Amino acid sequence: MKSKAWTEKFMQGVFFVAACASVLAVALICIFLFANGIPAMREIGFIKFITGEIWRPGSDQFGILPMIVGSLYVTAGAVIFGVPIGILTSVFMAMYCPKQIYKPLKAATELLAGIPSVIYGFFGLVVVVPIIRQFGTALYKAGIVDNPGNGNSILTASLILGMMILPTIIGTTESAMRAVPSHYYEGSLALGATKERSIFRVIIPAAKSGVIAGIVLGIGRAIGETMAVIMIVGNQARLTSSILQGIRTLTGNIVIEMGYATGLHREALIATGVVLFVFILIINFSVALLKRGADHE
Amino acid sequence: MKMKKFIAVLSVVSMMAVAAAGCGSSSDTSSAGDAAASDDSASSSEWDAASAITVVSREEGSGTRGAFTELFGVVDDDDNDITTLDAQVTNNTSVMMTTVSENEYAIGYISLGSLDESLVKAVSIDGAEATAENIENGSYTVSRPFNVAVKNDLDNPVATDFMAFIMSTEGQAVVSEEGYIPVSEVEAYAGEAPEGSCVVGGSSSISPLMEKLIEAYAEVNPNASIELQTTDSTTGMTSAIEGSYDIGMASRELNDEEAAELTGTVIATDGIAVIVNQNNPTDDLTVDQVKSIYIGDVTTWDAI
Amino acid sequence: MSNKTTIGDKLRTYLKHPGSFIVMLLVMLAAIITFAVLIFLIAYILINGLPHITPSLFSLEYTSENASVVPALVNTIIMTLLSLLIAVPFGIFSAIFLVEYAKRGNRFVEVIRLTTETLSGIPSIVYGLFGMLFFVNALDWGFSLLAGAFTMAIMILPLIMRTTEEALKAVPDSYREGSFGLGAGKLRTVFRIVLPSAIPGVLAGVILAIGRIVGETAALMYTSGTVAQIPDSIMGSGRTLALHMYNLSSEGLYMDQAYATAVILLVLVVGINALSSVIARKLTKA
Repeated sequence: MKSKAWTEKFMQGVFFVAACASVLAVALICIFLFANGIPAMREIGFIKFITGEIWRPGSDQFGILPMIVGSLYVTAGAVIFGVPIGILTSVFMAMYCPKQIYKPLKAATELLAGIPSVIYGFFGLVVVVPIIRQFGTALYKAGIVDNPGNGNSILTASLILGMMILPTIIGTTESAMRAVPSHYYEGSLALGATKERSIFRVIIPAAKSGVIAGIVLGIGRAIGETMAVIMIVGNQARLTSSILQGIRTLTGNIVIEMGYATGLHREALIATGVVLFVFILIINFSVALLKRGADHE
Repeated sequence: MKMKKFIAVLSVVSMMAVAAAGCGSSSDTSSAGDAAASDDSASSSEWDAASAITVVSREEGSGTRGAFTELFGVVDDDDNDITTLDAQVTNNTSVMMTTVSENEYAIGYISLGSLDESLVKAVSIDGAEATAENIENGSYTVSRPFNVAVKNDLDNPVATDFMAFIMSTEGQAVVSEEGYIPVSEVEAYAGEAPEGSCVVGGSSSISPLMEKLIEAYAEVNPNASIELQTTDSTTGMTSAIEGSYDIGMASRELNDEEAAELTGTVIATDGIAVIVNQNNPTDDLTVDQVKSIYIGDVTTWDAI
Repeated sequence: MSNKTTIGDKLRTYLKHPGSFIVMLLVMLAAIITFAVLIFLIAYILINGLPHITPSLFSLEYTSENASVVPALVNTIIMTLLSLLIAVPFGIFSAIFLVEYAKRGNRFVEVIRLTTETLSGIPSIVYGLFGMLFFVNALDWGFSLLAGAFTMAIMILPLIMRTTEEALKAVPDSYREGSFGLGAGKLRTVFRIVLPSAIPGVLAGVILAIGRIVGETAALMYTSGTVAQIPDSIMGSGRTLALHMYNLSSEGLYMDQAYATAVILLVLVVGINALSSVIARKLTKA
C-alpha cells in the first residue's frame, strides 16, 4: 500500500511538472527575447526606436514606426477582406450547405489552412500582384489616385492575408454557430422571422464569443504571417498614405535582414521581434479580458 | 454589446494607424504623380515611357546589395547606402526575377550566375554587356568577389584538401561552367584525398556554386563527406571563427575583425547584372543613370 | 424543413423580405468566393508542379542536378516524430494535471491557461528567433534537427494540451466514480479509464500538430538549418520539405522543382487530413 501511495504522489508531481512546461516556455521566451532586444532598444533610445520613421541600418538609423504601421495596415486590411467573407462562409457551412457537399467543402477549408505560406506568397506574386497593378494603373488613368503603384502593395498583402485567415475564422465561427441550441433558431422561425433574419439576429449574437475568438485568432495569424507577406508587400521601410503603395511589416523586417545583420543591426532586429511579441501579448490579454467579461455577464 | 465594443476598439486602432500614416506622409516622396502621364492613348500593354520606374533592391546588409551600391556609387560621402526608400525590397533572387519579368517598368539586379535570360533582360552598362568575358577583360566593371575563409590554424585535412581542390584547374573549371569568372593561374589538383568530413557554410549567393564544387570534389575524393549549410555571409564568417564551420563563405569582402581571425581566399568573381523587363526598349544604361534611378532622382523611364 | 417548402414558397417569402434575399445572396457569394479561391490556388499549384514531378525528384541522394525531395521528406518525418516525442507527453500530462488534479479556481491553473494561450498566439518567426537565441546559441546545439524539434515542440504544445484537455473533460464523471467505486486508485483511473476514452481527441490534436510541423518554415529556418541531406545524427542540420521548397525557390534556379515540391507537400497535407478523419471515424464507432 505504501509504495502505491508513493507512486500516486510521484505521478502527481510528474503531472505538475509537465504542467509547468508551458509556463517555463513562456518565461524562457520572454527572458531570451527581452535580454537580447532590450539592450539594443536602450542603445538606440526606446522612443527613437518606436517612433523613428527612418530605417537605415547602414547609417545607424533604426526607426521601426513604418513597420509597426505596416503591420497594422495589412492586418486591418486582412480583417476587412477576411472577416465578412469568413463569417458569411461559415453561415453557409452551418446553415445552407446541402449535406452531400458539406464534407468535401469542410475538407477543403481545412486544406486551405494546411497550404504552406510560401505557396500563398508565390500565388500572390504571380497572380494577384499583376491584377492589382492593372487596377492601380486604371485608377491612375481615371484620375482617382495620383500614384498607380506597382502591384506589390498593402492592398495585395491584405487580399492574400484575408485568404489566409479564412480557415481560422470559418473553423471557429462555424463551431460556435453549431453550438447555439437549435430551439433558438426554431423559436425565431416560429415567430415568423425569415431564415436570414433568424441567423443574423438570433444565432450570430448568441455565438458572438466564438465569432470574436475567431476574429482575434485571425488577427494574430495575420500580424504574425511572414513568408507570404514579404513576397508581395514591397517591403519599403517608409510610411505611405496609399494602399496601392508597398510597406514593410515587423515580421518582414526580421526575415529580410536577419541573414546579413551583425552587431547593433542584429540586436535591433531581435528588438523588432520583441515589439511583435508585445503586440501579440496585448492581443492575447485583451482576449482573456473579453472572455472574462463574457463569463461574468 | 461586446461585439460593438470590440468593433469600436478595432476601428479606433485602425484610425490611429491611418493618423500615424498621415503624419508620416510628408516623407513619402510620391513624385511619380507630377510626372504626368501625357500619353493617355497608350494602352496598358504597350510600353509607356512616362510610367514610373519600379525600383527593386535587395535587403540592407546583403552582399549583392553592398556590392551594387558600392560599384554604382549609390552611397553618400560617408559610404552610407542611400538607395531610395521607395525601392521595393526583397531577400530573394526569384522574387526579384519574377517581379521584373511581370512588371514592364521594373528594374532590379541579380547575380550573373542566377540570370535567366528567358525571363528578364540584362542591360549593358556603359556599353559593355554583362558577360563573363567582359568581366574578365575588365570592360564590365560591376562584379564582386566570392570569398571563402578558414581559420588561420585550420587543422582539418579534408577542409585543406577541399580548398586545394577549389583552387585547382578542376575546381576552377566548375566555376566557369556555372557562369562565374574563375581565378587565373591555378594548377592541377594533386591532393591526397584524405578521409573525414568537413562543414562548409555561409552566403546563399555562393552556395549554388559550392554545391557543384562539392559534387565535383566527391568524384575525386569519395572518402570525404562535406556538409553544406546555406545561411548568409555574416553567419558564415562568425561560424568559421567559432569553429562550427570549417570553411565559411562570404559574397563580400571580409571586415577587419573577421580578417584578424580568418584567412580569406577569392575562389571566383561574380558579375552583378542589372535587369529590366523584356518589353523594356532600354538596352544600355550608364553607371550614372543606374545611380540616379536607385537614388530616386529619376522616377520615370522617359526622364533618363 | 427544406423538403416541405417548395421553391415557389421560398421565392414568395423572399419577395416579401427583399432584405433577407440580399443577405442570402451575400452568403452564397461569400461561399463561392472562398471555394473559388481554394480551387484557383490548388489548380495553380498543380498546373505548375505536376509536369515537373519526375523520377529523379525521388532519388535517394540530393544533388544540385535532381533537387531530390527524399532527404527533405525523411527530415520532415524525423522532425515530426522528434517534436511529437517531446511535446505529446508534456501536453497530455499537463492536460491530466489541469483536468484531474488541479483544484477548480486555482490561481496556478489560471496562469497555465494564460501562458498556453500566449504560446498559441506567438507568431512562428518569434519562435524562430527564440529557438536561435536559446537552443542554437545559448545551449550551443548549433543548427540541428534537435534544436528545430524542441522549437516545434513548444509551438505545438498548446495545441496538444488544449485538445487533450477538451477530450478529458468530455469523459463523463460516472466513469471516474465507477472506477473509484471498484477500488481503483486515482492514477489507475486516469490511465486505465479516462485516458483511453479520450484517445480520439488526443489523436485529433496530434494530427493538427503534424500539419503545423509539416507546413512550418519561418521557425525552422533559424533552428534546424538548411542542409539538403539527411544528417548522421539529430545533432546534425537538415531541412524539412517546406523549408526545402522555400530554399529551392529563393535562388530562382529551381522554380520548377519548387512547384513540384509544393505538389508533394500538398499531397502530404491532404493525406494527413484524410488520415485524421479516418481515425476519428474508426474511433468514434468503436
